[in-house]
Amino acid sequence: MSAAAPAVRGRLSRSPACWLLAIVLLVGALAPAVANGVPLAVRERGAWSFPALGEAFGRPSTAPDGGGWRRWLQAPRADDVAVWMPLVPHDPLATDASAAGAGPSAAHWFGCDAAGRDLLARVVHGARGVVAVAAPAVLLAALLGVWLGALAGLRRGVVEAVVLRLVELVACLPLLLFLLFASAWCGGSATALRVALVALLWPAFARVVRGELLALAEQEFVRTARGLGLSHGRVFWRHVLPQLRGQVATTAAFALAAAVVGESTLSFLGLGPNGASPTWGALLRDGAAAAPLGAWRPLLVPATALVALVVACHRVAERCQPDANGARA
Amino acid sequence: MRTLLRRLLWLVAMLLGITFATFAVIDLAPVDRAELAVARAAGDRAFADLDDRQRAIVLLRIQHGMLDPATLEPTPLWRRYALWLGNAAQLRFAGPGGDHAALWARLAQAWPTTALLGGLALLLAFGVGVPLGVRLGGRAGTRGEGLASAALLALGALPEFLLATVLLTVFGAAWLHWFPVSGLSTPASAAWPAWRQFVDLCHHLALPVAVLAAGPLALVARFVRDAVARADRQPWADALRARLRRHGLAPAATLAGSLLPMLVGGSVVVENAFALDGLGHLAFTAAAERDLPLLLALVVLGSLATLLAYAFSDWLHARVDRRVRLP
Repeated sequence: MSAAAPAVRGRLSRSPACWLLAIVLLVGALAPAVANGVPLAVRERGAWSFPALGEAFGRPSTAPDGGGWRRWLQAPRADDVAVWMPLVPHDPLATDASAAGAGPSAAHWFGCDAAGRDLLARVVHGARGVVAVAAPAVLLAALLGVWLGALAGLRRGVVEAVVLRLVELVACLPLLLFLLFASAWCGGSATALRVALVALLWPAFARVVRGELLALAEQEFVRTARGLGLSHGRVFWRHVLPQLRGQVATTAAFALAAAVVGESTLSFLGLGPNGASPTWGALLRDGAAAAPLGAWRPLLVPATALVALVVACHRVAERCQPDANGARA
Repeated sequence: MRTLLRRLLWLVAMLLGITFATFAVIDLAPVDRAELAVARAAGDRAFADLDDRQRAIVLLRIQHGMLDPATLEPTPLWRRYALWLGNAAQLRFAGPGGDHAALWARLAQAWPTTALLGGLALLLAFGVGVPLGVRLGGRAGTRGEGLASAALLALGALPEFLLATVLLTVFGAAWLHWFPVSGLSTPASAAWPAWRQFVDLCHHLALPVAVLAAGPLALVARFVRDAVARADRQPWADALRARLRRHGLAPAATLAGSLLPMLVGGSVVVENAFALDGLGHLAFTAAAERDLPLLLALVVLGSLATLLAYAFSDWLHARVDRRVRLP
């Protein structure tokens, strides 16, 4: 078990699933710079500006003449102006009647939906939902769960009993019903959804950390560290927690998959958080409505993205598990 | 027997905890239930003017214990909690009077559909998942097994709403028209003979049960496969091949409890997609209408069912595997 950490890292860097996960998170975080109708970089009379990058960090931008970008981009330009567009040069909300329902082409790599919106741009912006809701919820749940699990494993007694009962209690809550409840409680608020996800996901971390702590407490290096006079907390954070990296990462990957599916299901039912850009669940809702009419692409493209992400999460979870590759190895 | 008793005691303590949380949630919710009830009843109960409407709201607030009937001042928190706990002890989550009866009537009308769906899905998941897992576990490491396991992983990763949409589009609404897309019976089926009605029911159930069973089936099969593969590498495996089945079954028994939350969540999606009149559909409607008491009753009932299922699967595990001692 002690040799697990470097081995895990080696296995991870070779895994395509891990790269896919990283790419989705990165693309989601920087969606306006990846898919946007606004230029990524503009040079005008020697002065540089990066409007799309600014939008990724929440700064709205205006075209150099103070108007909208669409008109500015189509207007004839002077010689000393250069424009670099993002990788996917389309706004996810901009409609283009001439491209309605179009198939894949050089302009629209994955085609357009019935309103003529670029599907790839919409999927890229949908990844923001993963980054804004699911990922922070999992991160918070991991922090809370590891802390409470450590508390339970180190202090024992009453603290442990309370934490364990809480863990059991939450394990009985049906995830989707609870999310529906949170959605009804606070209307489509993203914060409420995040809080509900944290409340549902932390017990998995607490259980893993406590269980491993009980096993590790009897090991030689922990006893030595304790014998040298190190405090409980220091032994845990410096010596025990690094051993648990694989386990915690496994739990986090599973939790991320559960959070993404939960959020998408809620959005698919039309009860998700209302934000400016639709998440994958909301895209699939549109796609599912269009599919019986023969337009299957708006369903297929976001569905592929969602399933790929969930499968990647499961693969990463399997990879991170220190000694559970079992018969597969 | 003693362990079962201890479990039940914990169950009661947990239920108390749930009710504490429940009261806080309902009481602190930013939804005014009186306003909502008046707004919802507007169809069959027209108000003459605004004063009339206001009076109805005040009456409802008194009825729900939010206002003191004598002084019309808001009642203190502890009085509200005492009142609410008294109601909750009788499982009256909706508060006093007609509201409460209507809530239970809706629940009573909806649960048989969900129970039928969930029961069949569970049956399918274990009936197919366990033999499949045993077979795959016996061949662990071969190429065919790798492919099948990967397919199972993908099946388990597929969100239910996606599977429902795909099956509906392919087999139902758009392409093949093999299966009906909504409800549990053909509209004109009341006059049919019993066997034909039964066939009709099965025809309607096929797609929803398939969607609901997919996730649990994948989970059960993978679990059993891993357990059997692990047992197969033990030195005594050849001598005691007959015991393999038991060692594969033990983890499957513990799984029974954790499948229930999956089924509850799945039924929301499935019943919504196939327009079935069950608890899941009720939960969706309640969420859309922001009907907190109804949703809360569903959450509590769902948790209770899961709690019982966990207790049952622990007991089952102890029966299958004698080494397990219940705490």
